[in-house]
Amino acid sequence: MESILSVENLKTYFFTKKGTVKAVDDISFDLRKGELLCIVGESGSGKTVTALSILRLIESPGKIIDGRIILNGRDLPGLSPGQMQDVRGNKIAMVFQDPHSSLNPIFTIGYQVDEAITAHKSVNENETTSKSIELLELVGIPMAKERYHDYSHQFSGGMKQRVVIAMALACHPEVLIADEPTTALDLTVQAQILDLFLELRNKFFMSIIYITHDLAVVSEIADSIVVMYAGRIVEKGSREDIMSNPLHPYTKGLIRCLPSDHGEIVPIPGTIPNLINLPQGCVFHPRCIHSMEICRKKRPSLNMVKEAHYVSCFLYGDNHE
Amino acid sequence: MNITTYYWERIKGHRLAMSGLAFIIFLILLAAIGPFFTVSPTVVNFDEKNLPPIGFSVEQSKFSSEAGSLITTHVRGKWEHPLGTDGMGRDLLSQLISGTRVSLLVGLFATGLAIIIGAMVGVTSAYFGGIIDNILMRFTDIMMTFPFLLLLILIVYMFGSSLTLIILSIGLTGWTGTARLVRSETLSLRTREFIMASKALGASDFRIVFHHLLPNTISSIIVLATLTIPGAILAEAALSFIGLGDPQVASWGNILNAGQNDIQTAWWIAVEPGIMLFLTIISFNFLGEGLRDAFDPKSE
Repeated sequence: MESILSVENLKTYFFTKKGTVKAVDDISFDLRKGELLCIVGESGSGKTVTALSILRLIESPGKIIDGRIILNGRDLPGLSPGQMQDVRGNKIAMVFQDPHSSLNPIFTIGYQVDEAITAHKSVNENETTSKSIELLELVGIPMAKERYHDYSHQFSGGMKQRVVIAMALACHPEVLIADEPTTALDLTVQAQILDLFLELRNKFFMSIIYITHDLAVVSEIADSIVVMYAGRIVEKGSREDIMSNPLHPYTKGLIRCLPSDHGEIVPIPGTIPNLINLPQGCVFHPRCIHSMEICRKKRPSLNMVKEAHYVSCFLYGDNHE
Repeated sequence: MNITTYYWERIKGHRLAMSGLAFIIFLILLAAIGPFFTVSPTVVNFDEKNLPPIGFSVEQSKFSSEAGSLITTHVRGKWEHPLGTDGMGRDLLSQLISGTRVSLLVGLFATGLAIIIGAMVGVTSAYFGGIIDNILMRFTDIMMTFPFLLLLILIVYMFGSSLTLIILSIGLTGWTGTARLVRSETLSLRTREFIMASKALGASDFRIVFHHLLPNTISSIIVLATLTIPGAILAEAALSFIGLGDPQVASWGNILNAGQNDIQTAWWIAVEPGIMLFLTIISFNFLGEGLRDAFDPKSE
């Protein structure tokens, strides 16, 4: 399948007073049409910064210092701010983590869905209203016509997130980025929202980047998986490859953290390193049980071990930068 | 429940605010229709000068042409001039009504101007940040360090004292507090996710500022505006009191100024506008307090 969005060698750094934070350091991945790609990683591994970089919403002191983000053959970092504004919402839309604060408290949700439509298209008021109600029905809001006039505080968390998704779908974007959309919701609601994403993918053949730290979610919905650690990609591949045949010690560790029928939960020792002061060589080596001499000295590159399964580890070949 | 109904329910329970609001409505009615029922405030009649208000009587010495000398008589208030007259026999009630018009005009327009300038400066400063924020806020600091009244006196002294100019100068100097308030509110709002969410959906800066940031600060702006109005009214009164007001209009400050010389013989000339000023200012303050309580979710 053709790739709709390619991220190539993206580097986003934050220039703080304490030093340069390499939040995203040289990552590349492709999103194919109709694919549901999951980006997995701990807090601070650069998942959200990757998403915001794609939309060019990185705020000072952060900056995209290198890399290409190609959407349908167009290089996004090369666009003017006006052109970029037209891409946001129209071509790529984003759903944020906390539905409770993603909606403006002083306007009705109908007004906000309308706004998402009219941001890119000039349509008359009646059409916008009926389109909004249609969208609200699509994302599964019961009695959408009545609820159109309600305020966000009159909705439950899951319903709010549905509204936010409706807003993101307003202009039929080709790519939908969801940044931990179910983290703030309880488990039953989480399952419903996940179903909604799968439905959108199947119905509209939409390409979705789903960011999460929850491997259980990933194993349910992902087509392919990108595992990030300290701003870098440690492993990427299809869901089967990653979930049943993980190669990188970090991915293995993550999967061992999942509760399962057999075996105990084994936590990964240590914490994610300080991004200002990254360890030399492989960023994971201080926490790695297979750490070797070379890991301390050299940074491994991302190598293909088999068709579409990449890993960045010296255990699998000795390539390095 | 509708949001307006909700706030109305909340403010209805606030007794002081409601009495303030009632008095302000009374003032507005007075200013709007009062002049149609009273004599002109500029009609001079020396035969009826210094008449006391209804229910009061004072001793006055007048030159009598029949007796050929000063005679002292008791003078009582007349129904034609329920609040008495001033030293030139002008009706005080109609002067006070004219003064109400002036005060409300000053209060509303000067505050409106100050709020608009302040909100623009504040929201621009906070939204764009960086060097723009620095320049605007340092300018605000400089504006704040000027003694407000001195600056007003200087402007009026230099450019003359028309009511329009007074309104403009109060508005152009009084925006600093609003700028700071709106800036701080916007700073906390702009980190909220819905601002980032609307950006991610392709909203323009203009749209974010006017559709998301400013409407979210409106409750604070309303409270601040209500509390700024008495300041503007007082500023105009103070200018008029020291003789720098618009001499063409009868404002409360002007009447006060005229009455202060006769305070021993005709106390009502100074006292009446004083009472009006006091009641007006306290009404706006009460209303402002009530609005603040109603808008503050923590006061539930």
